[in-house]
Amino acid sequence: MYGARAQSRSTGLFLFLCAAMLLLAMASQQPWAAGARGAAKSALAPVEGAMTSLAAQVDRLTSVFGDVSSLRAENQRLRAADEQLRRQIVELNAAAKENASLRQALNFQKASGHRLVAAQIIGRGPDSFSRTMQIDRGTADGVQPGMVVATGAGLLGRVREAGPHAAIVQTLGDPQSRVNVYLSKSNLQGTVSGGPASLAMEIQHTLGVTASNGEWALTSGVGGGYPRGLVVGEIASVTHRESSTSDEAQIAWVNDPANLTFVLVITDFLPS
Amino acid sequence: MRRAFGAMLLVAAALAQVTWAPRLEVGGAFPNLVLLAVVAVTWTLGARSGLVWACVGGVLLDLTAPGPIGPHALAILPGVYVISFWIRNLEHPNALHVALSAALTTALYSASLVLTDNLVGMPVPSFGVAAQLAFAAAVYNALLMPIAIELVRRLQTLVRLGPQPT
Repeated sequence: MYGARAQSRSTGLFLFLCAAMLLLAMASQQPWAAGARGAAKSALAPVEGAMTSLAAQVDRLTSVFGDVSSLRAENQRLRAADEQLRRQIVELNAAAKENASLRQALNFQKASGHRLVAAQIIGRGPDSFSRTMQIDRGTADGVQPGMVVATGAGLLGRVREAGPHAAIVQTLGDPQSRVNVYLSKSNLQGTVSGGPASLAMEIQHTLGVTASNGEWALTSGVGGGYPRGLVVGEIASVTHRESSTSDEAQIAWVNDPANLTFVLVITDFLPS
Repeated sequence: MRRAFGAMLLVAAALAQVTWAPRLEVGGAFPNLVLLAVVAVTWTLGARSGLVWACVGGVLLDLTAPGPIGPHALAILPGVYVISFWIRNLEHPNALHVALSAALTTALYSASLVLTDNLVGMPVPSFGVAAQLAFAAAVYNALLMPIAIELVRRLQTLVRLGPQPT
């Protein structure tokens, strides 16, 4: 049915290609290759941006078609008018959402006092192991590796690497991500780490003080990795562990990476 | 023509993987469209073609991922190599075989990616997290594989890529 028989073992080709890719990986990791690597990665950015825009338009269209199919059963006579009105509502909602996001970003820029560069998300990481995003701003716009990335709602992650016109951001959802935080009411300190499902927080015990649901977790600035005071999320649940020196909490992240379109890169803060 | 079509297929798969596929996330995993395309090409055109296209697809993925260029390509190769034995020893592969080969390739891809990332000094997830994600991705890709191979087979017929599969 699907068969196409291999004519040879292909072992030689396999070993040759493995060696070539390993050499390429080692060579492209060298500091002298960073420029070429960044430029190569930036080359795909415009196409990714176009694909992301196309995906958003398809989403709008599918939501319109979904609405129309339910209306057909409800009222045949008004279907055409409803279709037009619904499409307009979806488009207006999308525009309003984008406006709200931009307004929130503007407010954040005013309130934070940081220098910010707004960027559009043009792609996501290709595998499940690293929760990354690609943005359409790079070194030509002042974006450097290590810079903190946020949205109007709060902290998103950090720039991992930057090419001339694009950069890759490691989000807090990445399993390797770590950020030191404090809690808004109890003032307890802890570390938030990423994970495939949600953010987890390790809360250090302090005598007589316990964390509670609904408290906000904000960056503490400890360690110099992030500026103090960026909102990370709200405590959704706390698991108290009597036999341990720390409690564990689940954090409801203020950002939903799946629904983000714009981010802000803080360009005047680099980790110490 | 055949090469240009293959390149276009993989570029489209890579771009769709970093823009569309994450929207289909289930259990922390989303489909690996490049891997599916490479496995489909291996079953339809043979192991040597599969190995070459695995490199092309892997490099495209590396261009959209943090870190050096090469780990994704290196990670797809072992799975394709294993499929080459499978192809040679199987007279009439069916949908179950190709689905299982996708699951196996995904598992090898995940293990190789974590190992390669570790080797080149990139951060890697813990074993538990990696195993959970790899399992979810293997199941996801296995379910999509019969559709992917059918699609590639039809596209092959459409553009007369080569001899029809028997």
